[in-house]
Amino acid sequence: MVNQENPSKNPQKKRGQGDESPCRELETASPRSSSFDAKIVQKEIAVTFDGTFDGFLCVVYSVYYDKIIPLSVQVDGREQLSIGLEVRFIDTDVEKAARVYTGIRKKISEDAAHYVYSAFLAEDEARFLAILKYIQLGFKVGHMVNSHLQEDFVRQVHKLAKYVQREAHLLLGFCRFAETSQKVYYCHVTPKSDVLPLLAIHFCERLMNQQWVIHDKVRNKAAIYDGNSYVIASVPAGDANITYAEGEKETQELWVTFFKTLAIDARKNYKLQRQLLPLYFRKNMTEFQ
Amino acid sequence: MRHNTFMDIMDKLQILADAAKYDVACTSSGNNRAATRGALGNAVSCGICHSFTADGRCISLLKILLTNKCIYDCQYCGNRRSTDIPRAEFTPEEVAELTLRFYQRNYIEGLFLSSAIIRSPDYTMELLINALKIVRETYRFNGYIHVKTIPGADAALIRQAGLLADRVSVNIELPSQASLEKFAPEKTKQNILAPMRTVREGIIQSKNELALYRHARYEPKFAPAGQSTQLIVGASPESDSKIVTLAEGLYDKFKLKRVFYSAYIPVGGGNLPTTEPPLLREHRLYQADWLLRVYGFAASELFSHADENLSLEMDPKCHWAVNNLNLFPVEVNKADFLTLLRVPGIGKLSAEKIVAARRIHKIDFDGLKKMRVVLKRAKYFITCDGRTYEKFPYAPEIIAPRLKDNTLQSGYTQLALPW
Repeated sequence: MVNQENPSKNPQKKRGQGDESPCRELETASPRSSSFDAKIVQKEIAVTFDGTFDGFLCVVYSVYYDKIIPLSVQVDGREQLSIGLEVRFIDTDVEKAARVYTGIRKKISEDAAHYVYSAFLAEDEARFLAILKYIQLGFKVGHMVNSHLQEDFVRQVHKLAKYVQREAHLLLGFCRFAETSQKVYYCHVTPKSDVLPLLAIHFCERLMNQQWVIHDKVRNKAAIYDGNSYVIASVPAGDANITYAEGEKETQELWVTFFKTLAIDARKNYKLQRQLLPLYFRKNMTEFQ
Repeated sequence: MRHNTFMDIMDKLQILADAAKYDVACTSSGNNRAATRGALGNAVSCGICHSFTADGRCISLLKILLTNKCIYDCQYCGNRRSTDIPRAEFTPEEVAELTLRFYQRNYIEGLFLSSAIIRSPDYTMELLINALKIVRETYRFNGYIHVKTIPGADAALIRQAGLLADRVSVNIELPSQASLEKFAPEKTKQNILAPMRTVREGIIQSKNELALYRHARYEPKFAPAGQSTQLIVGASPESDSKIVTLAEGLYDKFKLKRVFYSAYIPVGGGNLPTTEPPLLREHRLYQADWLLRVYGFAASELFSHADENLSLEMDPKCHWAVNNLNLFPVEVNKADFLTLLRVPGIGKLSAEKIVAARRIHKIDFDGLKKMRVVLKRAKYFITCDGRTYEKFPYAPEIIAPRLKDNTLQSGYTQLALPW
């Protein structure tokens, strides 16, 4: 909900953020702004990157080491045109990314790293600048960054992170696996945020001894677990062609029966049910087919 | 499962899930247990809801009875011996098979096993333990298990059950000895509280052992997710004050993790009232319960002398605040955490945010709004930097009507203009 409503609801505010405040804040936030290489002219540019989390961390790296002031951070190929601004693509370098991430964990806090990663997974167009500002404030004030609730971007990062964590948590319960004829348990999801990595980590523990696949139909990728470790790979768009194992249908029927039996007629409350289990989850759930 | 046995299991599942559904406890929280190779599953302490039924209650456990063939005749219960309903009985293997199949597909977080009393309390308890042993040891199920103990069962059996399950519970159901005598003649307060005490002792003992053998590789932990109970509301004449005080005693003395309240639903006749289930009253009791567990209230604070029951119009926190206006308003920039917790409209998370944020920056009403404090209620009880939100006479009779639960009114009334 957040990622769709936010930008459209407050177009004014968003433009305002991009225009004035960041450059000044970036200058003061930059650790070496007044030190030996002050001669290097800070450059206001539009930044693009490959859309991965590592790529984003490299943008953070460039802010500090290449002295750039990004007025916008966007995914390459999906950026909007900006007139009169240099557009620079930042290469992804896993080592640089790891350095930045360790920096966030050690110099700010584990919590902050958690917030940054979770907020990144929300697919809100405006999130990159907010997270960037959050990190910059974090490097300035350390672990206290999460107390700076008067700053809009801190609250925004918190809100996005919470949104992602909530969706991931709900999906830990709402994922439905079905056994295929190859003894692989297959599950499809259509989440609003990119929660696949968070789901994969949970199910590696939970379903440690069976092979499973979680298919994100929105982003056309899947987490594939072979009984030892998982990989996230992109898969062709559309429904997977699956034949289910013998007995799978019966198990599903048992579950549906159990589910239906448990409702107490005298307490029927569909509004509450919708609130706790929103309709958009239901299309992937066995008991609502 | 071949076809004939499939239909057989389907029937049993229907009967025994139907028989178990009036037990409201469905939490899977309170314990973290890592997964191990070769065994199925783990436990996560936050608990996970897997689905929600048409009445809005969560499903997180496979909640079934081992059997509903009961020798007791408790009036509030649909499984009592004098009702005319189909009876069935699961074998332990069937329970294990169902649990595993559902768990592998992520339908459930674990198993909630209870039983009607068949032959005798001890015999029933032995059946339950046997079933749990097969689920845990033969089928190597490592997920969450909640087991009911049977009132009047031997302490040794209860200790055994506690070692196999994450959470153990025994239902009090009726909140007084008098009601028990009247409606559940085979049960006594004593044989309900005795298993609770056994479980409590088991938990303490297992904690002490853990402290002693900290380096032991594996120590069986006794009911690591604690114990809980359920009270039926509306079947017997006890007041809310009595129920909440009982709950407080259970939290203090028996260190219960949760007390659940279940609005009485007339099942299968019997000589109990056949009214609508008191769902709002149940809701208010849950609100009061949270005030006890999370907000540091005492049961006695929630009831004024005149009133034995919680107000249905207003939530208990607002009710308390309106009756104690002399303690307000509190200054959000100065008041300590526990004082903030007592302000209607400020919950635990908001109080934490306020305490964190005011170290950096003075908080105003706009800031509170952005922290998602419910100003609609909180504005009557706080000041920000010495200022109140708006001017209003500081009297209970002015504030109380504004705090009433609007959602409870049926329909809207037309706006009446003052001229």
